[in-house]
Amino acid sequence: MTFDMPTWPRLNRDARLGLALALPVVLIMGALVFGPLVSSLYDSFFRIEPMKPGSPFVGVKNYVTALTDPTVLAAWATTGVYVLLAVVIETGGGLAAALLLHKITIGRRWLLAAVVLPWCLPPVVNAIIWGWIFNPSYGLMNGLLQASGLTQGNQVWFNDRATGLVLISVVHAWRMMPLTVIILLAALQSIPKELYEAARLDGATAFQRLRQITLPLIAPGLAIALSQSTVFAINLFDEAWILNGASTDTRSITIQTYMASFQNLKLSLGMALSLLVMVASLAVSAVYVLRVYRETRFE
Amino acid sequence: MTRTTKRFLNNAALSLGAAVLLLWSLGPIYWSLVASLTPPNALISDNLHLWPLAPTWAHYAKLFGATSTSQGNEVQSVWPQFSKALANSIITALAATLVTVAIAAVGAWAFVRLKFPGRDALFIAVVATLAVPGFTVLIPLYRLMIAAGLIDTYTGVTLIYVSAFLPLALWLMRSVYQAMPLSLEEAAWIDGASKFYTLLRIVLPLAGPGLVACAILTFLSAWGQFMIPLVFSPSLATKPLTVLIPEFVTRNYVDYGLMNAAGIVAILPPILLVLFLNRFLVQGLMAGASK
Repeated sequence: MTFDMPTWPRLNRDARLGLALALPVVLIMGALVFGPLVSSLYDSFFRIEPMKPGSPFVGVKNYVTALTDPTVLAAWATTGVYVLLAVVIETGGGLAAALLLHKITIGRRWLLAAVVLPWCLPPVVNAIIWGWIFNPSYGLMNGLLQASGLTQGNQVWFNDRATGLVLISVVHAWRMMPLTVIILLAALQSIPKELYEAARLDGATAFQRLRQITLPLIAPGLAIALSQSTVFAINLFDEAWILNGASTDTRSITIQTYMASFQNLKLSLGMALSLLVMVASLAVSAVYVLRVYRETRFE
Repeated sequence: MTRTTKRFLNNAALSLGAAVLLLWSLGPIYWSLVASLTPPNALISDNLHLWPLAPTWAHYAKLFGATSTSQGNEVQSVWPQFSKALANSIITALAATLVTVAIAAVGAWAFVRLKFPGRDALFIAVVATLAVPGFTVLIPLYRLMIAAGLIDTYTGVTLIYVSAFLPLALWLMRSVYQAMPLSLEEAAWIDGASKFYTLLRIVLPLAGPGLVACAILTFLSAWGQFMIPLVFSPSLATKPLTVLIPEFVTRNYVDYGLMNAAGIVAILPPILLVLFLNRFLVQGLMAGASK
């Protein structure tokens, strides 16, 4: 009786080289991202809390908590506000800035460098810089508003929830807007100039040219910029944490997750929460990734 | 309206827009610089000055070794902590950049030029993690790192940075290689060069600008990281500036001058990168975001 040796699919030299070169990617991503993701998913169905003995199976209880607990729901709502405000500020401001940079010819390189700078700085330092501006006693914002007579007396900006949410969104948008500007500028520069000349000959006004040529043609770039802004705003952490700590007024869902996991040591609830945040981020980007992949596949 | 007035108005509007954009982008940084140069007692005065009246290096001196007095007590210099955290930031950011760029440079080429089983699925899976928030894997990763004894070590932090920034680097390098003409490589293959030799000798030198863009993006991401070291760098053994600086807020006293001075030091490397290598950075962002 003979046994057939299991036959491995014969790989040619290219395939073996490809696997060898991709091996570090597989190892690192497998061990540090995909493995932990799977174990997160598995553990989220148990009660894992170092302060309590045992880790019984609890089914979807953590997910129910993550979607019904009042504190957690408030954090989801806060994140929703951040997303809305950040996307509006970044897209509006980013489009205006990109149109301006597209028009400007003298010194564009330096202006672009200045515009990109906030994106390059550590978010923590950004938050400290802005925290000093918002300082209730000695901050620039109170100083300027009082000097111009708009307000009287020092305002403690983060005492008011709505103001706090707006200010944190502004700081976040200050950091993320450069990405929108660059994506939109790239889109603007790919529009053929002839289109505008033809429109001008046909007597189209500047506003009509913007509505009927510019906006439709930068729509793909706009979609990418929107999805980036949304995903980053869903994951807002540093700005809110440095400017207002764990305060429930401005607590985003990511801060809530951090608190649940590392302060209250409810690890499995933290994992369920972070997986839900991941699903939200993935859902937003899925459209975009699939689309881009479809575009690049048939080359 | 005549042509010249129209053009004048047009230019005036553009200049005004540029001024607003500059003020928005640089104003906050300027204000932090002012605070870092203002004497401590002037920082907490009621009068607003848009530039430091009597500039002082006192806050920077405190960072770099001088002792000071506050409310009659001598305050220890923060230099021992600050210097260690500065070194930690530099070491982890550079190590993460080197490893990430090296892996992405060869890995992305394999994804573009070689056919191997599972290639497309692997690439999609890796790129999809771009949308995965870093902290999703934080808890299992924390346990893994404890088990491996890598908490608070350069190796541990660097490995986590690499896993976090590799997807973007791969995405970027893939678009660089896709834009490269295949004919150059084919010519070398026909001459009998092996594919790996071609990668090292022909492809990588041509990919220079892409590699620089990739390195800048990775360095900036690692330099600015906060949440990863907040969890994985509990002590000064590996704690970077981003985690140390917010700790300058003590229980009953916030040293704004010191925090702003430390912040200015922490943003110097990014500022230098933008000043000298902005072209690569912008190209990288454009390729990374849109292609």
